[in-house]
Amino acid sequence: MKKIIYSLAALLVLLILGRYLRSATPDTGYDLNSFAELPVQVGGRIKPLDSVARNTLLVLAARQKVETIDGQTLSPIEWFLDLTLRPERADTHPIFKIAFPDDLGLDGLAQPGKRHYSFTDLRPHFETINQQFREIDPEPKTRDAYQRQIAELNNGLSLYHRVMHSLHPIGGAQRLDQLADEYRSYLSLLQPAMAELRKQQAGEEYDTELVKTFLGFGEDYLRLSQTAHLRVIPPPAPIDPMDDWLNLGDELLNVIQTGQLSPYAMSYASLTMAYRAGDATTFNQTLADLRQRVAADFPDDIGRVHFERLFNGFKPFAIAIDLYILVFLFVCISWLRWPTTLGNAAFWILCLAFVLHTFGLAARMYIQDRPPVTNLYSSAVFVGWGAVLLGAFLEKFHRNGIGAAMAALVGFSTLIIAHHLAMTGDTLEMMRAVLDSNFWLATHVVIITLGYSAMFFAGALAIAFTFLGLLRRKFDKDAARSLCGMVYGITCFAALFSLVGTILGGIWADQSWGRFWGWDPKENGALMIVIMCAITLHARWGGIVRERGIMALAILGNIVTAWSWFGTNLLGVGLHSYGFTDSGFLWMCAFALSQLLCIALALLPLRYWRSEFGRERRV
Amino acid sequence: MSALLQIFGSLKLTVILLSASMVLIFFGTIDQVEYGIWHTQKLYFESFVVAWQYPAVWPAGDQLTWLRIPMFGGYTIGGLMLINLTVAYTRRFSLKAAKLGLYAIHLGLMLLIVSELLTDLLAQESQMTVPENGRANYSQTVRENELVLIDRSHPEHDRVHALPTHLLKPGRTLDIPDTSLRARVINFYPNAQLVRAPEAKSPANRGVAAKMGVTAIPKAPDYSEKAINTATAYIEILEGEASLGTWLLSNVLDERFPAQTVQANDRDFKIALRFQRHYYPFEIELLDFAHDKYPGTEIPFNFSSKIVTHHPDSAKNQQALIYMNHPLRYEGHTFYQASFSPDETATILQVVRNPGWLLPYVSVLLMGLGMSYQFGLHFRKYLKKRNTA
Repeated sequence: MKKIIYSLAALLVLLILGRYLRSATPDTGYDLNSFAELPVQVGGRIKPLDSVARNTLLVLAARQKVETIDGQTLSPIEWFLDLTLRPERADTHPIFKIAFPDDLGLDGLAQPGKRHYSFTDLRPHFETINQQFREIDPEPKTRDAYQRQIAELNNGLSLYHRVMHSLHPIGGAQRLDQLADEYRSYLSLLQPAMAELRKQQAGEEYDTELVKTFLGFGEDYLRLSQTAHLRVIPPPAPIDPMDDWLNLGDELLNVIQTGQLSPYAMSYASLTMAYRAGDATTFNQTLADLRQRVAADFPDDIGRVHFERLFNGFKPFAIAIDLYILVFLFVCISWLRWPTTLGNAAFWILCLAFVLHTFGLAARMYIQDRPPVTNLYSSAVFVGWGAVLLGAFLEKFHRNGIGAAMAALVGFSTLIIAHHLAMTGDTLEMMRAVLDSNFWLATHVVIITLGYSAMFFAGALAIAFTFLGLLRRKFDKDAARSLCGMVYGITCFAALFSLVGTILGGIWADQSWGRFWGWDPKENGALMIVIMCAITLHARWGGIVRERGIMALAILGNIVTAWSWFGTNLLGVGLHSYGFTDSGFLWMCAFALSQLLCIALALLPLRYWRSEFGRERRV
Repeated sequence: MSALLQIFGSLKLTVILLSASMVLIFFGTIDQVEYGIWHTQKLYFESFVVAWQYPAVWPAGDQLTWLRIPMFGGYTIGGLMLINLTVAYTRRFSLKAAKLGLYAIHLGLMLLIVSELLTDLLAQESQMTVPENGRANYSQTVRENELVLIDRSHPEHDRVHALPTHLLKPGRTLDIPDTSLRARVINFYPNAQLVRAPEAKSPANRGVAAKMGVTAIPKAPDYSEKAINTATAYIEILEGEASLGTWLLSNVLDERFPAQTVQANDRDFKIALRFQRHYYPFEIELLDFAHDKYPGTEIPFNFSSKIVTHHPDSAKNQQALIYMNHPLRYEGHTFYQASFSPDETATILQVVRNPGWLLPYVSVLLMGLGMSYQFGLHFRKYLKKRNTA
């Protein structure tokens, strides 16, 4: 039996791993991986086009794949290739996610059951959408669901247009088919046109036709420089990492001063022509040359960019989510049958998920060159990581499945939260000046976030206690005492981390603006966690509460922690808005209600407790 | 007596106070949306009692604004906590190694409460604007105002006679320090709007108001984070019993307007109501202001001000680079990089004077050490139990 269960567990794990690793880049003849690794400067750092493709697609479609109208599935970089090199095809891909198309009031757009629409579908409605957008509340924080949908669609269309024109000027198919020739004729025109322009200024006779053509280019590239979203052209070597890169339009205008077009711009033009002509050989050759140039220009970044592309494809957090589900299921079954074998399997799967989770965290730190927590997204990843660490540790000692199950629960939930937070785009963004301190990010932020982990983990254990105590007959006094000890221990841990973290925050504030404590919402939230721990601990020491009371307080800790972590962000202090309409607010309320329900369950009179613990307490 | 002491030293009281503080902090956080941080802090944390009111903009707000939740303010809870801790420790103190950490934590906590009170009472925060290659010897705070009479007869320096506005109660007559003059407060508005209404009857008969027909319409003060209130007053200046005239003074009538003057004792005094200033016996000169952004973005990466101080005692002159997280501590004041003028030619430094700034450091050191000690002790016990089990 044992062998069968272990083999089954291994098989399931392999299935999950296989599902993610199989979906690597398909073979189309074009060297997609090299294209995906071309560098671009976004948000203050150099990243691969692959990240841009994924983040743009996340913002527009809320997912990282495209299903074309002829039933093909495209990876983000394939879609990006279409978007930037073959836009007439990209326009037919349904990528604009509209959750409630009927609400928009656009005649003939909505089709039953269809959530994704293409640029072509939306083209007849641009006027109306823009009109509607101008009529909605200009303050994003106070918009309702309908207004948010309009704003998202309008901004999405604009983003689409701007990203599309990152690698080529605004124009039809014919122009793109001859892009490199266009640049060459523009360059050859440069010297004579300047001479003619000088003549014009001097009041002499000049070639009007030539000047007109040249000025036509200028106007066109000026428009491009205002539209093109991505900075794809690095400054000429030697390159200072603090220098601004240029977008294609700026580079083409720059030529008037420098007289030279960046080889990057020329290569992108050649890539465009080759891809459009279906000439994979030229495409790959141009790409190989371009890659060599990148490697020569950015010897320090090339490894990181390569790694980021691999990391994007590997998706360790997505695998970890599946594994956490598996752990939870195994533990639940283990409480009914084969406790040791299934328990062991669950523990090892938990360890594997933890390794992946850790790898993801470490990879992000390497790519960004920052401590683990830099924004809300990464805090969600880290809270889960901390809780899983605590859970694995408890499980190693107690081997009763509770640590593993609750670790899996918290790990799973926080990664799901992180997944939803990632919908806004790049999660590896730069830090505002005041936050730009690796020392404080590494100490204060990490410690306070570990405090959140411990609070949530203690709360999860308390929920487990409540359900086990209410429902499981075998749950006896010793098991209760042991679990209660765990909750107490983790609460001590949470108290230590929250207090030290809050104190470090105070010192940082004093160093930054001369105020140890300013009573701002985030600070208050942290303090509430410390106080929550203090209440639990003092109530226990004073004998004011017993097991069930401690559990109720620990579950209340979940609400306090969620408030401190997310709730305070919803307040938007100073903007006179409560964010009532945010979906985040609804989730927050739903979570608080669910926890209040658990507290009520924990406080149910003992006669409803079916466990042995309940019976013993009654007598 | 001992029954009373028992109550005041009990853990039950501790838990009640902790719970009360949690409620206070929660409401003191959400009310910041209504009142801004600064005012909420005064209402909730620097007070003895406070009542939270159901905000009108919440769902069903028009029916529920009567709903109020009274609670103890920060001073009451902090004070009771101090009593609770003191009584508990005087009654139950015993020098045991197992409890050393707890003592350190609670001593640190008491110190922290005291230091927060000291900060409330003593700390001053203000902002100093220094133009590039220029100097400044004062800072100002837009939250507080002062009535000033400035004697400009001395060729080298001015003499400033100042009264803080919290003294300006309508009907009151105040001596202006070091002069023979007195100021009678006709009216004072914490916030107002100045309008031109030549036909309106204004108490003022001198200065800008009389010349340009300006009157003040009182307005409710705005407490939000960035708001600046237009503090305004009608002030009559008396010499002996004789009136020298009544002026309309307001912090919006600043250097952009012609100075208002009082003539007395054959001297000219400039009279004004302005943001409260703190003068320093030294000057700060800005040599260079730098503002870097992340490449290819508008996200600020670093602000810094290269400054040099000019002190009458030239041994105290010093050069410093002030930037994020790196303030200058100088002559009992701390200078932080706070902001800059929109055209980036002047820096704005936050000047903080807090005599008790070291206390929180001592207290958190005690608490941190105490917690680590206590936690370490527990953890070792836990591991031992595990290993023997």
